[in-house]
Amino acid sequence: MPIDRKRINGPEETVPYNLYTKLNTKSLLQEFDELFCDGKRADNRAPLEHRKIFLKTGVVSQAKGSAYIELGKTKVIVSVFDPREIPNRTDYSLKGEIYCEFNCTKRRLHQQDAEEKQYSAIMKQALESTVCRHEFPNFQVDIYALVLHNDGSPLSAAITAAGVALSHAGVPMYDLIVSATLGIQHNVKFLDPSNTEQRLCDVSISSDGKEDSHGIIVISMLHTHEQISQFYQVGNISLEDITESVKVLETACKDIVPLVQKHLVKHILKTIKNNEDYVILVSS
Amino acid sequence: MTLCEAEKTFVLHGVEENFRIDGREREDYRPMELETDIVSHAFGSARLRLANTDVLVAVKIEVDTPFPERPFEGKLEFFVDCSANATPDFEGRGGEDVAIEISNTLSAAYHSPKVFDLRKLCILKGRKCWKIFVDILLLECGGNLFDAVSLAVKAALWNTQVPLIRQIDIDGNNVELKVSELSDCQRLDVKTAPVMVTVCKIGEHCIVDPNVAEEQCSVGSIVVSVSENKFSTVLQTGTGSLHSSTLLDCLKLGYKVAQRLDDALWSTLSKIQPTEDVGFLK
Amino acid sequence: MAEQYRSLHPIKYYRDYLVHNVRPDGRQFDKFRPVILNVGSIDTADGSAIAKVGRTTIVCGIKAEFCRPKAETPDQGFIVPNLELPPLCSPKFKSGPPSDQAQVLTQIIADIIQHSKCVDPKDLCIFPDKLAWCLFVDFICLDYDGSLVDACIMALMGALRTVTLPSVDYDPSLDNKLVNLEERKHLPIHSTPISATFVIFDDKIILADPTVDEENLCTGIITIVLKGDDLCCIHKPGGSPLTEEELFEYIGKSKKRAPLINNLIEAALENINK
Repeated sequence: MPIDRKRINGPEETVPYNLYTKLNTKSLLQEFDELFCDGKRADNRAPLEHRKIFLKTGVVSQAKGSAYIELGKTKVIVSVFDPREIPNRTDYSLKGEIYCEFNCTKRRLHQQDAEEKQYSAIMKQALESTVCRHEFPNFQVDIYALVLHNDGSPLSAAITAAGVALSHAGVPMYDLIVSATLGIQHNVKFLDPSNTEQRLCDVSISSDGKEDSHGIIVISMLHTHEQISQFYQVGNISLEDITESVKVLETACKDIVPLVQKHLVKHILKTIKNNEDYVILVSS
Repeated sequence: MTLCEAEKTFVLHGVEENFRIDGREREDYRPMELETDIVSHAFGSARLRLANTDVLVAVKIEVDTPFPERPFEGKLEFFVDCSANATPDFEGRGGEDVAIEISNTLSAAYHSPKVFDLRKLCILKGRKCWKIFVDILLLECGGNLFDAVSLAVKAALWNTQVPLIRQIDIDGNNVELKVSELSDCQRLDVKTAPVMVTVCKIGEHCIVDPNVAEEQCSVGSIVVSVSENKFSTVLQTGTGSLHSSTLLDCLKLGYKVAQRLDDALWSTLSKIQPTEDVGFLK
Repeated sequence: MAEQYRSLHPIKYYRDYLVHNVRPDGRQFDKFRPVILNVGSIDTADGSAIAKVGRTTIVCGIKAEFCRPKAETPDQGFIVPNLELPPLCSPKFKSGPPSDQAQVLTQIIADIIQHSKCVDPKDLCIFPDKLAWCLFVDFICLDYDGSLVDACIMALMGALRTVTLPSVDYDPSLDNKLVNLEERKHLPIHSTPISATFVIFDDKIILADPTVDEENLCTGIITIVLKGDDLCCIHKPGGSPLTEEELFEYIGKSKKRAPLINNLIEAALENINK
């Protein structure tokens, strides 16, 4: 590998210390039982209970619109910039474009890895159907999402926050967009999984050849029109489980919407009040 | 190729009448040709031609060290190369987005251990494992890339010969492997490998295996990847959105068609087997 | 109207304010913006802090990994700082390799860490010539509104003070390492550098703790880093010249500010230890 002269490089080879801890002899099934016992999850939530959401707009002063979201410990910040001309483009496009970049601050290679690229594409796909792209032909809106702390469901947190950031930036939109994640493992559905839950849902834990579903589903919904703008699933899930999960996720999204609405109204009231103060200041 | 509004309406009416522009019904596939073992230096290969779509897949195997966090697993990597001849859109860096989308979707589809068990590729825990490179070359684009690629990949993996390990010498930190000859190999277990089906929504109906013209008429499509009787990945593509009931209809249709497709592929592959065994001078 | 005027004639707009001895954000010339420090908020890192100087926001995360010491310095570990200016924080930046500005700032921070000796690389050695800690110190800018170095150094000191390293049993003959996660120790910190940035406007007016607009319009910039009462580093990349008296005046001003920042770091750490 060529030397990266634009950064300060450490020693050539480093290894994370977690690999040398005392051997973890717990089987996945035991780990699962620890995470989920007596119908309660590790953080005392019911399986279909969403974590508390904290939203804030206007966190990045340099951006046109920005939002910060917390889902439990998961923290994501999203900023949206003014439309600019699509670079390196010769033909005319009738519809504006959306450029999404999803980044995770996990210490790894500086380039976007495949997972981040995939998430960027999913985010783009989710947001494309809600933005009125015909309003800014031949221009693109840049959206950047940065995961500060990943404790599960970073993608849906980023999409919900991006929706709020877009409205904060005043980008014309058809509808509010919210998103939710669900993990399935061992016949239990975990709404809004934490990082450990997500990791467990990623693998199959029942070794005795049972037909258990496992996997993760992310959906994004346009609330008023009851449309699913993006659906993404990985793992190994039966049709019945998917059908049930979609219903669960739809209600979860419906529950998030009032929160987002309330936040936006609060934000607008605040802006109006600030403007009034400003007008009074100027006229006096 | 761009269609005008009148042409789009024509395609749409055809779909409504269950009589598509090339004479198929909504759930019909176009004819396919499958060849295996055509790249002599690869460990396994397959070429699939679905009407105008032409895909060549070659599999290469190497010995590698497992990821430190997953010492019991081998590695599987997909790489998609879009030939500039496939479609004019792929010229320059045009094919890169498509390539990344396909390879990401394939990795997601093969992710679950129930679909493809990477533990079988482990040679020595934490030290040595097999790494499988699946190189996919898109020779011609005639619509419905996902389906064609997934079938070709499954066929190529089925065709792949993994050498047997004869002997392992461990001397301190050095591990030496003695590998069997190419004539004495083991096949990969790919019964559960996923098959992808693109379900395209045109007007009020859903169709499978869209050609280029039909792809343009659709606002959104769902790519489902089915392994045995479970979904291994579902991805929505295109710019539109769907109602949840439509989404579930698409999933059901995709599921049904994928199982039919998988059966057809499997029966075709099992027909190949006997002739090949003769070639190995057993 | 004010907004249009500001974007069309930024320098005139600033001068109009400055003749009245006030800055557009209402501050006096030598007034610093309010600072906020939050430590230990990211528990996936071994140490972390978020520092805000006015609206400038920096997240600092420290991750420790094992490595082998260099042959020429067998008893020393590594500290690897890197600053990232992602496109998220300002429209000025594009994604891709670090911009020139990021590289320059990273180098300044690396120099400050090295010369202030806040962390002794010898403390990071576990077994000479065999095993040492490598501290990856990553800064990410979330909001770019000037005085980046000040915010970075503050975040760095906050984060370093929260770093805990697990104890390691190392068997040199077999190269076996065993990490005991329950037994974690704080890293010894030998000094606390504190930085203050000033800009020179129109060759004569000096503004403390500049915003991004002030940094863009200024004719010179100077960053003074103090370690207790001692001068640790002065960074003045060209620009308007300064007289000796002026320089001493600003060193004096930064000295006055240093105890405040010090107290803030202590207060932030007290909160977390409670």
